[in-house]
Amino acid sequence: MSANMNQAASAQRNYTCSWCGTASDGTRLSCPGCGATVNVKNIVTDSGWTEAPGRKDMAVLQFGSSYCQIEGKYVPVADMNLSKDDSVYFAHHVLLWKEPQVNITNLPIKGAWKRLMAGLPVIMTQAHGPGHIAFSRDVPGETVALPIQPGQSVDVREHVFVVATGQVNYGFFQTGVWFTTKKDDETETHYPVGYLMDRFSVAQAPGLVLLHASGNVFVRKLNPGQSILVKPTALLFKDQTVQMQLYFEHPGGNTPTVLGGAAGGLGLLGNIANVMASFGQRYLWLQLNGPGRVAVQSAFEPVEGENGTITSNSQALRQRW
Amino acid sequence: MTVSAEPLQRVVCQWCQTQNERTATSCRACGAPLDIKDLVSESGWREAPRIKDMTEIHFGNSQCQVEGDIVPVAEMQMAPGDSVIFEHHVMLWKDPAVAMSILSLQGGAKRMLAGMPFIISVATGPGRIAFSRDATGELVVLPLHPGMELDVREHAFLLASHHINYSFVRIKGLRNILFGGQGMYMDRFVTTDVPGLLILHGYGNVFERTLKQGESIIIEPGAFLYKDSSVTMDVETQKLTTGLFGGTAMNLARMTGPGRVGIQSMYVHHNTE
Repeated sequence: MSANMNQAASAQRNYTCSWCGTASDGTRLSCPGCGATVNVKNIVTDSGWTEAPGRKDMAVLQFGSSYCQIEGKYVPVADMNLSKDDSVYFAHHVLLWKEPQVNITNLPIKGAWKRLMAGLPVIMTQAHGPGHIAFSRDVPGETVALPIQPGQSVDVREHVFVVATGQVNYGFFQTGVWFTTKKDDETETHYPVGYLMDRFSVAQAPGLVLLHASGNVFVRKLNPGQSILVKPTALLFKDQTVQMQLYFEHPGGNTPTVLGGAAGGLGLLGNIANVMASFGQRYLWLQLNGPGRVAVQSAFEPVEGENGTITSNSQALRQRW
Repeated sequence: MTVSAEPLQRVVCQWCQTQNERTATSCRACGAPLDIKDLVSESGWREAPRIKDMTEIHFGNSQCQVEGDIVPVAEMQMAPGDSVIFEHHVMLWKDPAVAMSILSLQGGAKRMLAGMPFIISVATGPGRIAFSRDATGELVVLPLHPGMELDVREHAFLLASHHINYSFVRIKGLRNILFGGQGMYMDRFVTTDVPGLLILHGYGNVFERTLKQGESIIIEPGAFLYKDSSVTMDVETQKLTTGLFGGTAMNLARMTGPGRVGIQSMYVHHNTE
């Protein structure tokens, strides 16, 4: 073997994925840690968001001595080929199919009552190799592979978790982000990012977490002290270091006129209705403060209670224009 | 000093007719790929251009970047003084510095009674703000030239530049209101002196065809996305009988030219029985 070839082989062995940092020999078409296309130039928007890496159909990820193949484009399937020493855990409603020999057991979770109250799955299910088992969700979107390194901790919005490898520790915490609305005599408490969030971390060996987002996924890294406003229901995941709080924004410049109301056909009534509706108009955001990564999904639901009369809320900033 | 003998060459976008530099690969005004021919079905429907990921579109002194291909995001980089209007539920994220205000609308009570968005928000640069909707689909970029009038299904517009006048028109005819599947009103966008940018979000895929004077096409009301104001819309009831067991009826929309009609491939049946 020539010296040049040796150098080339050495360089290939040191290939580091620009998305997840996993080291590999670079001889495959996709990163074994997250499935990103090898040597792909990261696609970054002008504003600094990085698109989830272009993952080719049938990309193969490796964890332990097992493999995961991501299949499809609109609602991708995570097809696991588990070795006999490996296991994964998941919420049971994401199971698509499995081979009969794959053994399934319950994974005990502490705080079942809290999870029940929060509408989260009380039982987590564990699958043990050897054999194939596949998972998918029920909306068009992207499957995001999050390799977790020792010491790293990632917070994930409820209901987007698909499956994690057995090495990953699973926990959850109260978000502390809430507001109450009042209608007649009823007071209702709303949790715009959920009452609980999932937290994934590993102690020693690296692990893998798969999420499924609605629509497309964008990630950016916030510097210390840097902040950004996102729709609460668009949040997908964040590093544990990223802090979040509510942010109310009151638009300015609302100048309805008597003339405008009259031109609208219902005269003063139209104008009064205009003023009444716009009075107290505000936008509800989630403010994310760095340092750390944050990710959003492009399809998101309206925030429940957003347009109601807010009577109290967790810590929040307020901006009036 | 020498003068170049090369003629000034321009590439005309087949979607919006904007002239672009010869080396451009996507239209600067609507983002349509310039290296792909118009895709027109045998029946005459033209596919809205598949805007490539990360394509940049220019309007005024500002830019819009289209990101993603499942539920695309329109990310605006607003220049000082430029602004866009939108319904507030389509905001995805923004810089804290982007100023927010409300568009003063005429006929507030009418809109309230019709269930239309009562508040149209305005974001003014400088800064960045991004928009997306809640389901799989396509962004349709429609640069509006002076004198154009476009009617859009309610809630389907993602954003419009401040150069465009926004209003709404009542759908004519009680049958159209009750069975047309559009509600009582449609959004109307009109340009005056300066070209403007209008971005719609269509569920599924979007197709357009241009009807000649007097030419008609019948469509499912839930699929209607936009039309030139010159196109008229009427409900047609199709009776479906099943012998002794009676029957049912379906309501369809007859669109009559001249002008463009845009439809979306993913829709909801409204009042078809």
